[in-house]
Amino acid sequence: MRIDYKLQDKFDLWLIIPAAMLICIGLAAIYSSTINHPAVHSNFQRQLTWGIVSLIVFFITYSLPTNSFRYIGISTYIFSILLLMAVLVIGRKVSGAKSWLYFSGIGFQPSEFAKIGTIFAVAAFLSRSNSNIDSIKDIAIALIIGLLPVGLILLEPDMGTALTFLGLILILLFWKGISLFGLFVVLSPGFVALSSLFGIYYFIVALVIVLIVLLFFRKDLLTSGSILALNLGAGFLTDIAFRALSPHQQTRIQSFIDPGADPLGAGYNAIQAKVAIGSGGLFGKGFLSGNQTQLQFIPEQWTDFIFCVIGEEFGFIGSVLVLGLFMTVILRILKIATSAKDEFLSLVLIGILVIYFVHLIINIGMVVGIMPIIGIPLPFVSYGGSSLVVNMFLLGIAANIYRTRKNYT
Amino acid sequence: MKIPNIGSIQRSTVIYFVILASFFMLVTRLFLMQIVQQEAYDEKSADNSIKGIEQIPLRGVFLDRNGEVLVSNVPAYTLRVVPADYDTSLNSILETVIDVDPGFISKVLRNNRIYSKYIPLRIKRGIDFKAVAWLEENSEYLPGVSYMVEMQRGYPAGIIGSHLFGYTKEVSPDQLKREKDYYAPGDYVGHNGIEKQYEKFVRGIKGLNYILVDSKRKEIAKYKDGLEDLTSTKGHDLLLSIDTDVQRVAEQELKGKSGAVVAIEPKTGEILALVSAPDYDLNQFSYVTSREFLQDLYTNPLRPSFNRATMSVKPSGSTFKLISAIAALDLGVITTSTTIYCGGGFTFGRFFKCHGGPHGSLNVIHAIEKSCNTFFYNLIYKIGLDRWAEYAKKLGFSTMTGVDIGEEVPGFIPNSKYYEKIYGPNWPRSIMASLAIGQGEVSVTPIQLAQYVALIANNGNSFVPHVVKGYIDDRTNNLMSSKFKEVKTGIDPKVFGIVKEGMFLVVNGAGTATRIRMKEINIAGKTGTAQNPHGKDHAFFIGFAPYEDPKIAFAIVVENAGFGSTWAAPIAQKMIQAYLLKDKTKKMEQRFIPEIKPNIIGAKLEN
Repeated sequence: MRIDYKLQDKFDLWLIIPAAMLICIGLAAIYSSTINHPAVHSNFQRQLTWGIVSLIVFFITYSLPTNSFRYIGISTYIFSILLLMAVLVIGRKVSGAKSWLYFSGIGFQPSEFAKIGTIFAVAAFLSRSNSNIDSIKDIAIALIIGLLPVGLILLEPDMGTALTFLGLILILLFWKGISLFGLFVVLSPGFVALSSLFGIYYFIVALVIVLIVLLFFRKDLLTSGSILALNLGAGFLTDIAFRALSPHQQTRIQSFIDPGADPLGAGYNAIQAKVAIGSGGLFGKGFLSGNQTQLQFIPEQWTDFIFCVIGEEFGFIGSVLVLGLFMTVILRILKIATSAKDEFLSLVLIGILVIYFVHLIINIGMVVGIMPIIGIPLPFVSYGGSSLVVNMFLLGIAANIYRTRKNYT
Repeated sequence: MKIPNIGSIQRSTVIYFVILASFFMLVTRLFLMQIVQQEAYDEKSADNSIKGIEQIPLRGVFLDRNGEVLVSNVPAYTLRVVPADYDTSLNSILETVIDVDPGFISKVLRNNRIYSKYIPLRIKRGIDFKAVAWLEENSEYLPGVSYMVEMQRGYPAGIIGSHLFGYTKEVSPDQLKREKDYYAPGDYVGHNGIEKQYEKFVRGIKGLNYILVDSKRKEIAKYKDGLEDLTSTKGHDLLLSIDTDVQRVAEQELKGKSGAVVAIEPKTGEILALVSAPDYDLNQFSYVTSREFLQDLYTNPLRPSFNRATMSVKPSGSTFKLISAIAALDLGVITTSTTIYCGGGFTFGRFFKCHGGPHGSLNVIHAIEKSCNTFFYNLIYKIGLDRWAEYAKKLGFSTMTGVDIGEEVPGFIPNSKYYEKIYGPNWPRSIMASLAIGQGEVSVTPIQLAQYVALIANNGNSFVPHVVKGYIDDRTNNLMSSKFKEVKTGIDPKVFGIVKEGMFLVVNGAGTATRIRMKEINIAGKTGTAQNPHGKDHAFFIGFAPYEDPKIAFAIVVENAGFGSTWAAPIAQKMIQAYLLKDKTKKMEQRFIPEIKPNIIGAKLEN
């Protein structure tokens, strides 16, 4: 093993510097959005504390032996599942979702923690020495490992987080090398199930599309038939499951599918968020000078709508800077993942990338009005201890893998 | 790690391009919103949070001719609550403090539920000072409760002036529609009298304060520290021609009676006093106008809201004899040496009685002195009806005077055309006899009578009667005088000298009003008693003083009183005393006298 004493060689500044800058921008935005809000005045202090804690977590994770991730993978996953079950029983309800656990006054979201466990578990399963990505069994098991936390999170219900998990599993399968047909088999039942929620015509149209694609793959009749049956089953099962839900839960799902149906709730936030960002202009209105932010037109702006503060007060320049920092981190992780020789570590890196990327696209897409309002935080920037610590932990893993990348050549 | 490709494409390249495309899409979207559509969003954002609050300016005050304040602005207190901060368990105690029925506050709150809970809500206007003191004292136990000072009209000189000043009240929907660029719902606007006629001068210019409000319309702070605010400009102060002392005396003298008094400075047409009785208390309009008060105002058979000085028309009795005298003298029908014999009456078709017994042979001067009916019966036939009516018109009758307090009626003077229409060409000429002595179809207003006697006093020339001399420019403190049209009768001034001699004798000779003779001042006048088919006669007295250099001319009408000499003339005496014998040193103390520069050509007052 060759030892290189250059800092750059062991410590990836392309990961930590953009992330640290995002945390600082986030702190500024949290400060701005809470300064006129006496009830949440302490948010800045808390986030600062969590920021320091998360840095410590980052460095600890960075220093761990890289192999240890392989061994803690399964236990982390099982622990995550237990926590997700616990939250359904003893969790505290915050803005409609039972997603918080409290231990001696400190609350955290098990769904954040479950991201780590799920990445490890799926990556570990797919990188088994005898794994075969073309076997239906392997794909099915990987899906079950991934969908178990999704199901539990949906019960909270927390649609946004569940969505990031779905993305995570799909991209991990993709990275592992699933064939296009395999991807189709995995994706099509979800597509049909979602369509069936919109009504019978959507369901039929979705089935017809699935049929056409099936013909395109030219598989034998048995395979094609069973895949079609799977799709049909998914559609009907969704319908049965939907009917089994309480009317209150049904409304929640409907408003998730069609946010325009609730213009005073989610719709109002969407409009005010766009006004905040659009009115920022090129240079923004200046720190602490955004009237949409300072006059609290966007509720709980320091969490999911934090990007509005940046768009309004720091303008297009500030917004693009934030996007650029994210791009730096994400593309850097992609680069490390591509060059990583160990399959497990490569999959873990892609898992981390997906978590960041899906959060980023959904969160910013939602505040600029090209995505429905789905409440998920912006990594590193939004207020919230669990999210920050978990994201920095994931970044620590990426930095750790970078540190020891030459050991696996 | 060996990753299988998709066709010839690496999986990492697929992910790489998906990431790049997503970033590109977000940047494009941000560019569109923040650069291309920035203006539209900025406008929405400003609309969201900046609210303009109109600042109602102070109305101009009214000063009398000596600078004494007649109509001012006084603070009135309004109880307000912010529903979001207010605790409804306070209702009962607050209701006791502001003296309203139990349940009043919850009713107001309920009626205004549709407004934001963060906007202060008016509970009651015009709460008394004791309640304000109580609110101050207990403010810490009264979350969301406050009071606001709103300015209302006050009348510090003790002048009632109901028909003169008018009052302010909330703008009507009609007016709001017509003048929507100035008024907003709930604004107070001049109603009646000077307040209405000079509304544009006294209302001032509204200000606008910009405040920042949050998403719940709760006030957060001033917008840009108030730099963009427009301050309101107080309305112009009006300098009235009213003399407080004369006005006060006239009001006191008419108390408990029905009638009207108008006093005019003959040389200028400036109104010194204008009173209509019965009157009403303008203070009732200033705070909360009670329903009982309004009901009484509009249903009282004596009609206190009716301005008798400009709106009531009556035959004015013997005061009208002067028309015939002036016409006859000016036309040369008679001279001072022409005498007519009065044997106690006059026969034309039927017998017309002269009052006070046979006067014997008398000329025009003594005919006026004695108010001899016989003389004037004869005279009108010599003049002819149409020429007589023409002279009445020249002296201001049957047209509106144009007085600047608005409501007015023209009255009526008959001519031959009028009678031909009613009776045909052979209309009974005997009708003319009663016209000569101011009975029959003659109908005139008190203000016309005042102008008429002012024209006589000033030898046929005067100005349109008016109450506003001008407004005071706030920056320079100069009086911007208003211009009024000159009234010229075109009658030989010598004629008026003769008539005035007769009027002098009415008071100072052996006439009908000798009881008001004064040592210090020579008064000239003419009494009148108009027959009233509905009750007691109406008493009239017109005149001027001093005889040598008239400074005040007046017309007094007391309805259903009896003889003019008994009921109307003594009021004149009191007014003359108040005006001409007032303590001169008092004038020196008045604050505006040294500041008002005379002869300043001011902006012309419209209407």
